[in-house]
Amino acid sequence: MIEFDELEQRMILKLVYYGPALSGKTTNLLQLHELLDQEGRGELMMLDTRDDRTLYFDLLPFFLQAPSGLKIKIKVYTVPGQVKHDATRKAVLQRADGVAFIADSANSEALNNENSFANLENNLAFVGLNIETIPLVVQYNKRDLPRIIAEADIRRVWEPTGIPVLMATALHGRGVVKTFAHLLERVYRRIDDRYGLLKDHGLSQESFLQQVVRVKEAGGNHG
Amino acid sequence: MVEPSEPEQMSCGCLVGAEKRLVDVLSTEEVMPLLESAVNAGMSSMAVADDQGVPLWEAGTRLEGTLLTGRMEQPGENFLPLRLEGEPVGKLRFFGGALAPESSRAMAKVVAGAVNGLIQANLKRMFTTEIHTQVVDQSYEELVHSHEQLRLSEKKYRELSATLEQRVQERTEALKRMYARMVQQEKLASVGQLAAGMAHEINNPLGFVLSNLQTLQKYVGRFTEMLLLFRQNEPEDRAVQKWRELKLDYILEDVPDLFEQSLSGARRVQKIVADLKGFSHVDDTDEEAVDLIGEIERTLSVLSPEIPADARIVKAYEPVPRTRGRADLFCQVFLNLIRNALQSRREGLQLTITTGVKANFIQLVFADNGAGVPASLRQRIFEPFFTTREVGEGMGMGLSVAHEVISGYGGTIELEPSTEPGARFVICLPLSREDMG
Repeated sequence: MIEFDELEQRMILKLVYYGPALSGKTTNLLQLHELLDQEGRGELMMLDTRDDRTLYFDLLPFFLQAPSGLKIKIKVYTVPGQVKHDATRKAVLQRADGVAFIADSANSEALNNENSFANLENNLAFVGLNIETIPLVVQYNKRDLPRIIAEADIRRVWEPTGIPVLMATALHGRGVVKTFAHLLERVYRRIDDRYGLLKDHGLSQESFLQQVVRVKEAGGNHG
Repeated sequence: MVEPSEPEQMSCGCLVGAEKRLVDVLSTEEVMPLLESAVNAGMSSMAVADDQGVPLWEAGTRLEGTLLTGRMEQPGENFLPLRLEGEPVGKLRFFGGALAPESSRAMAKVVAGAVNGLIQANLKRMFTTEIHTQVVDQSYEELVHSHEQLRLSEKKYRELSATLEQRVQERTEALKRMYARMVQQEKLASVGQLAAGMAHEINNPLGFVLSNLQTLQKYVGRFTEMLLLFRQNEPEDRAVQKWRELKLDYILEDVPDLFEQSLSGARRVQKIVADLKGFSHVDDTDEEAVDLIGEIERTLSVLSPEIPADARIVKAYEPVPRTRGRADLFCQVFLNLIRNALQSRREGLQLTITTGVKANFIQLVFADNGAGVPASLRQRIFEPFFTTREVGEGMGMGLSVAHEVISGYGGTIELEPSTEPGARFVICLPLSREDMG
C-alpha cells in the first residue's frame, strides 16, 4: 500500500501488471481505459516509450469513496517487460497490493513466461513482499493467436497453485475487465481483513467493484 | 500489502506512485503568467485554488471577500475543476467582472485546460525523473555492490595466487632436496657397489699374493739355510768373494723383515678391503642379528681417512646383545652420526661413543665437543629435508634417515639437551624378547 492516512481518510493502493516483454500489459491498461467509464477513473498516463516499448511504466488511476468517507485511490501500473529493465520493475513493485501476471499464450513464449514469473517472485522478495500471500491473478493473453498453449494445459499447471487464471485477448478487449475485476476482488479481501473496509467503512466488495469497474454502456460487453 | 512501518528495501527514499499535491506539481512561474494574461484579457480575477477553494495562486482585482475567503458564494464567481491523475484536487476560480458570463467562462476554460495540461505534463516529467533517479540509484548501488564482490573475489584470488607461489616454492625446495638426496643415495650406492666390486677383484689376487708370499718366505728360509751351510764348509776364495760382493750377509738379515712387512701390508690391504665390503653390505640386505659394536667399529674404520690425526675417539663400550635388523641401515646411522661429529669441529675433536644396556633397552651415545645445535633448531633437525647447509652440500638427510631407521626398529633417537658444549645424540633400541629373559 502506497499510503494510508487515517486523519485524511485516504488510502492509496497499487496494482501492478507484470509479465514478459510484449505480453500485452500496456494493452490491458489501454483497454481498461477504453472499456471503463470515465467516472471513477483518471486518464491513462503513459511515460515515454521507445519503439512503442514501455521504458518506465504506464499508470491508470481509479478513485472511489467508501460510505464512511474514506477515499480510495487505486493506481494501476505496468512494468517494462524487457529483461534489461529489471531495476524499473523492482522500483514499480514496491508496496504493491496486487499483481496481475500477463503471460503470452504463444507456444514459443513458454520459457519467457517462466523466466518472468521467476523474476516476479525474486523481485517481490527483493521489495519485501511474498508471492504466496500477495493477491495475484494470471492472465494468458493473445488467445487469438494460432500456435498457443492449450487452455487445458494451462489450467492443469496452474490449478494446484490456487491462483486464478484468466484467458484474454487484450487487443480486442476480451478478458481484460474480468482479469482486473478478479484482481480487485482478491485485493479487496486482503485489505478488508486488515483495514475493515466493510466493518469500519461500510464498503462491501460488490460496491468496491462496482465503483471501480464501471463498464461503459456503449462499449459493448467485451469484458 | 506492506505494513506502513515496514522498512524500505530500496535505497531511494522516494516511492513510485507517492501522492503529489497541486503545489508539488505546479510552480508560480508556470501558473501566474496564465492567470495574469487572462486578467490582462479582461477577466476581473482568477485563482488556482485547492479542493477546498483556498487560493494557491491568484491574479487580478481583489474583490473584497472574493478570492481570499475561500468561499464560493460571491455572485458571478465560478470555478472549473483541476485534476491530478484524474482526481479533482483543485479549482480554477474565476470572476469575469465586466465581461459577459459566456466570454469569461470560455476564457476560464482555456486557462483551466492549460493548467490541467501543465499538471499532466509536469506529473509525467516528475514520474519519469523519479523512476529514472531511482533506477539509476539502484543500478549504481548494485554496481557498487557487485564491484565490491568482484574486489573481494579478486583479493581472494590474489591471496590464493600469492600463497600458491609460496607453496610452489616450498614444493620446489622440497623436490630439490629430494633430488639432491636421491643423487646422494645413488652416488653412495654406486660408490658402495664399486667398492664392493673392487674389493672382490682385489681380494682374489691379494689372496694368492699373500699365500705366495708365505710360501716364498718358507722357500727363502730354505735357500738361506743352504747358503749358510755352504759358508760353514770352508768355501773357495772365489765363493767368499762373491758372497761379499753380493752383500749376502746384509740381505739374509733383511729378508725376514721384508717378508714381515710385505705380509703385514698385504694383510692390512685385506682388512681394508674386507671392511669396505662389509660396510657396503651389498651382499646382505636381509634382517639378521646385528653386532652393533662391530658395526660401529667397521664404520669408524671406513671413516678413518676422514678422522683428523688430532681427534680423539673414546670408545666406552659395554657389551650389548645383538639386535635384529639390517646391518647396512645401522651402518648408515652410525656413519651419519660420526660424520656429523667430525664436521662439528676442526681441531681438538673428541668423540665419545658409549654403548650399554639400560633397564630394558640398548643405549648408544655419540657425544662430541663440537659446535652443538642451537636450541631453536633442536625441534627440526630430524625433519626430512631439514638442513642448515646449502642444497647439494653434504648430508641434508643424515639425521632424518637415522631417525627413520631407528624408529623403524621401534627405538628412539634424540638430541639430548646438555649444559656441556657439543652435541649428544642418544639412541635407544628395544631389547629383543630373548635378551630380556
